[in-house]
Amino acid sequence: MRKLLSLALVAVLALSVLALPASANEKVNFSVFQLKVEIDPMIQAFGKLYNEKHPDVNVTVETLGGGADYGGALKAKLTADQMPTIFMIEGQGGYDLWKDFIADMSDADWVKDTDLAFYDPDGKAVGFPIAMEGFGLGYNAEILEKAGVDPATLTTFSATKAAIEKIAGMKEELGLDAVVSVGTSVAGGLWWVTSQHVFNAFYAGYQDYNDSSVYDALRRGEVDQERMTAFANYLKLLYDNADPNVLENGNYDAQVAAFASGKAAFITQGNWIDPNLAQLEATFPMGYISHNFLEEESTGLYMAAPSWFVVNKQASPEQQKAAIDFLNYMALSEDGANYMVAEAGMVPAFKSVKLQPEGPFSKALVEASARGGNFNWYFGQNPDGFNQGTLGPIFELLATGTVEDFVADVTAAFQEIANK
Amino acid sequence: MKRRGWIDALFIFPCAFAFIMVIIVPFGLGIYYAMTDWNGVNPIVNWVGLSNFQGMFSEPQFIYSFLITLMYTAINVVFVNIVGFGLALLVTGKLRLRNIYRAGFFVPNLIGGIVLGYIWQFIFNNVQVDMGNALGIAFLQKSLISRPDTVIWAMSVVNTWQYAGYIMMIYVASIQSIPGSVMEAASVDGANFFQRVRRILIPMMASAFTITLFLTLTNSFKQFDLNFTLTNGGPAMRFMAKPIRSSQLLAMDIYRTANQQNLMAQAQAKAVIFFIVLVIFSLTQVYLNKRKELEA
Repeated sequence: MRKLLSLALVAVLALSVLALPASANEKVNFSVFQLKVEIDPMIQAFGKLYNEKHPDVNVTVETLGGGADYGGALKAKLTADQMPTIFMIEGQGGYDLWKDFIADMSDADWVKDTDLAFYDPDGKAVGFPIAMEGFGLGYNAEILEKAGVDPATLTTFSATKAAIEKIAGMKEELGLDAVVSVGTSVAGGLWWVTSQHVFNAFYAGYQDYNDSSVYDALRRGEVDQERMTAFANYLKLLYDNADPNVLENGNYDAQVAAFASGKAAFITQGNWIDPNLAQLEATFPMGYISHNFLEEESTGLYMAAPSWFVVNKQASPEQQKAAIDFLNYMALSEDGANYMVAEAGMVPAFKSVKLQPEGPFSKALVEASARGGNFNWYFGQNPDGFNQGTLGPIFELLATGTVEDFVADVTAAFQEIANK
Repeated sequence: MKRRGWIDALFIFPCAFAFIMVIIVPFGLGIYYAMTDWNGVNPIVNWVGLSNFQGMFSEPQFIYSFLITLMYTAINVVFVNIVGFGLALLVTGKLRLRNIYRAGFFVPNLIGGIVLGYIWQFIFNNVQVDMGNALGIAFLQKSLISRPDTVIWAMSVVNTWQYAGYIMMIYVASIQSIPGSVMEAASVDGANFFQRVRRILIPMMASAFTITLFLTLTNSFKQFDLNFTLTNGGPAMRFMAKPIRSSQLLAMDIYRTANQQNLMAQAQAKAVIFFIVLVIFSLTQVYLNKRKELEA
């Protein structure tokens, strides 16, 4: 029995070895290596469909298992001489590391259909945005209506402040634990909510999408004290109206659950919580307002691509061309739109895609994207470990500390990295 | 029979080879990298001498981590050994079901540090806070691991819960190896329980104390998994006018420097200091304990 089994295995192996070169002669083989586990079955199916419709090429998609070290796995593939044709980067850090392997795609058709491509320092489009993600201050429309607050009027700091204070006064009758569901603790693993995402409002808010002047000044160590104080007051307002248990030691589940169960009217999270909300059966209408820390009117949300597909410059020219064709097909065809939106539930980064995602916050992002006036992400450009190691404790201390200390600490932190 | 050097060498070779490859070479490389500007990826490595060592002692987080690790170690050595010794006395006494207790006290040690951290995080953040609210005790209404002044103590409680059973086993083995006649003779002579423990048991267990103190000292000093899952270094506090993390022990500080800031060389320099301090402490401890053993 065992002998038979091993014989059969050997036969299968031998056959597969024989089978490979036979097809390689006529087809261009290329590979995709990606790390979003949640979209693995969908992108596999899309690859299969692509192969059926394009008999002259053969794409293989590989996904790295949950929570694994993608950068490490990619380095291992490089060492094993199995560098994929298409791989992912997650921002400037990834680009700097892999720039010798990243091809220029400026002439590809998909570039004209998106605002979210990754550009190298010379202004060449090199990264294909996998999806769009975004955040603002999420609200529960049902609670706001009961409290007599119209979210459309919440466009300035004073309006937002008045609304939060009004709801805070009605906590009992609305059945709320707290007005805002926000977490900032290092222990609970929510430091990124405030020190990356909410703080991004300071970097990008009230500016054109591609205007990075505030962030650039910050990185030179020039901290606009007035703007920083206004931001700190806004953040303190959110903190003061949060459930201290969620704020100071809650985790992601606790933060999302408080909002999903109607125990909080606002939440500081992005559209990635849609699947969690569906699981928690939160069916109430919801939407986003901006992080309003100034008196200037604003409805913009903070949206960008969190990761990009790049094409391996060291692959053969045929493979590179096939890879770019594949990305064009993903962005511009109906099959691609169906995969990105209907199947994978992502917010498409391409303007020509007409399908709408199902999730309520994702829908809100699509609407905001059509409306325009949105803001970019800059937190990914901070030095490695700065957001978590330096800003994390500063943002956590504001929960029990003062606005003055916060402004001084943030100023000192940016001056320190500017001097290096 | 004539001994042949090369045959001896051949027998030692597998062991020596493994030891050199996994201990000696990485150790040497580690010391080398501590004096460079290596970031973990870049193949170009420059020699920077001792500047990595100078930088770390002006870094508030590192100084604090250093102090808090010493404090955590001191608390743990006392807690774990007192509790472990107490339990050992309990389960070697005339207690019904003592074998079940023995197994029961040991079980926490079988749970991995990662799981343990998450379980206790839930206990502190939810159970303890709910209990505080229900009973109206202000001290318990805020999670002990979200207060900079209590977090180290809370971690020590968890570590003691996990580790005391293991230390208990060593004490139990040692107590059982003491001839019953000695204890009996003492009680016939009129020594009460405490006198017997103080005058006979403890001196005769001197070699066990050498082991347990060494284990608790090094274990606490190198603590990482529990630290990582239970508090992740938090909560934040202010030290030398800078916001830092109040429960970030040395091992975790090194880990963060290496993996989040990608400052591999600085982390390596910290690891060298970490090693030297640990060696000094544990050798001193073993030396003192050995002297006690000889006296006894």
